[in-house]
Amino acid sequence: MRHRLSSLLWFCAPFAVLLALWAILVPHFDVNPRLFPHLDSVAQAGLEGIKDGTLVRHVGASLLRVTVGTVLALLLAIPLGIAMGVSPTVSSFLTPPFRFFSVLAGIAWIPLASLWFGYGFGAITFVIFNAVFFIVTYNTLLGVSTIPLHVRNAAASLGAGRWAMLTEVLLPGALPNIVTGIRTGLGFAWRGLIAAEMIATNVGLGYMLFVARDFYKTEVIVLGMIVIGVLWLLLDRLLLAPIERATSERWGMVQRV
Amino acid sequence: MKSLTIRNLSKTYFDVHAGANVTAVRDLSLEVPAGEFVSIVGPSGCGKTTLLNMIAGFIPHTGGEILVGGHPVKGPGPDRGVVFQSFALFPWRTVLDNVAFGPKMRGVGRAEREKIAHEYLALAKLSAAAGRYPNELSGGMQQRVGVVRALANDPDVLLMDEPFASVDAQTRMTLQEELTRIWEQKRPTVIFITHDVPEAVFLGNRVVALSKGRVLEEIAVDLPRPRVWDDLNEDDRFKALSGRVLQLVRSA
Ligand SMILES: Nc1ncnc2c1ncn2[C@@H]1O[C@H](COP(=O)(O)OP(=O)(O)OP(=O)(O)O)[C@@H](O)[C@H]1O
Ligand SMILES: [Mg+2]
Repeated sequence: MRHRLSSLLWFCAPFAVLLALWAILVPHFDVNPRLFPHLDSVAQAGLEGIKDGTLVRHVGASLLRVTVGTVLALLLAIPLGIAMGVSPTVSSFLTPPFRFFSVLAGIAWIPLASLWFGYGFGAITFVIFNAVFFIVTYNTLLGVSTIPLHVRNAAASLGAGRWAMLTEVLLPGALPNIVTGIRTGLGFAWRGLIAAEMIATNVGLGYMLFVARDFYKTEVIVLGMIVIGVLWLLLDRLLLAPIERATSERWGMVQRV
Repeated sequence: MKSLTIRNLSKTYFDVHAGANVTAVRDLSLEVPAGEFVSIVGPSGCGKTTLLNMIAGFIPHTGGEILVGGHPVKGPGPDRGVVFQSFALFPWRTVLDNVAFGPKMRGVGRAEREKIAHEYLALAKLSAAAGRYPNELSGGMQQRVGVVRALANDPDVLLMDEPFASVDAQTRMTLQEELTRIWEQKRPTVIFITHDVPEAVFLGNRVVALSKGRVLEEIAVDLPRPRVWDDLNEDDRFKALSGRVLQLVRSA
């Protein structure tokens, strides 16, 4: 407990320094608020946004899109990745295209997505889905193919049938890679989300940023940037890191890709 | 328990790098009655692992037949437990869950299978490690988990490929004594592959020497049981048998 508290403080310390510098330097040099806002005006914008519900609405819209896109992607990607990984032929055939699409994942799909799904929820969720789907499928496939043959043989000679092989060996064996894939994919998705929301919607954090520019509301822009960063850090520390600690690290299977 | 019959078995690999066929096992026949402990020795590359993998059903054979309890082998199955040289433990399961895996596959309920696993862990003096993950164990402990995991599934035939190769001499002797003790209790049919001649003689009812994929010679080991190192180290019959097997292996 003590250890966790001190690591939390250590984690927050550099941000505190940044905030302090901001609070001191911006007034000191009398920076034009149309170019960069004061700390207190950002804080005020944040409070107002919470009070009148606009900030909450934008954050809610963004989080909903990420959640739906990610969950859909995982539901499809993990079974597909495992199925592909089981067969060396299928996996070597499909590896190159999946790598290709992993690189394209996210932002590059925005133009097509908005043509296909129109503006709004559909297009943006599709972008998220894409970012997560290809990377997680590829990582799952990789994870399955790295399970040593003798471990699969061991399971078979202990009586594991097809289903048990899947749930007891292939899935847990690929899990460290799957988690890595989710982390990378979500990173792409998060960035893609903001970009897509600037173009293809009228609600969400990206939209909030983009519209504020038209009115020189730099405090709203910076507020949005801070919220985007903080949400990602929370996601990483509260969701992804604990999963990793409970699986790959505990099992001694940390192999980053 | 089941007998093991191997008739005119052969295995030819296609070596991709050399672009040629390699015959690892040729025309090999071996008869192992139910409950016998057979040690197999032979120089590196003579086909020991290949033979074991075919009996386990991991790889198909290219000629002859393998009968376990009178039935041809068609693939891996829980009637043949395997102990791997490289342990092959499940890194994502605790030691207890590794050992309980076989019973779980048989549909044994949680409480019952954990009881079985605890019993076997106690047998191998691993009780304290039950809740740990394999990567938190020493190599010798992992080795023992591998042995006990195969035993806990109560196989008719136990196939072991150099299972004690990576443990120190002390632990190794303890493991050998534990294995003979367990074997005397449960009496599975055992095929035990090793490079270590004294180990082969210490454990087996019979030592089979392989050479170039064939049986070179079989030597019966009629030493009394239970066998313990303190007695056998200085035993003249043990020394004579070991000497003979060693000569065979060197001539192979
Ligand atoms: N998958 C494979 N493809 C091609 N050749 C193989 C393959 N596996 C084994 N061989 C060859 O078959 C022969 C026997 O190999 P095997 O692994 O059975 O030997 P071994 O007796 O177990 O040796 P060691 O004591 O070193 O473990 C060797 O010449 C080996 O190169
Ligand atoms: Mg071998």
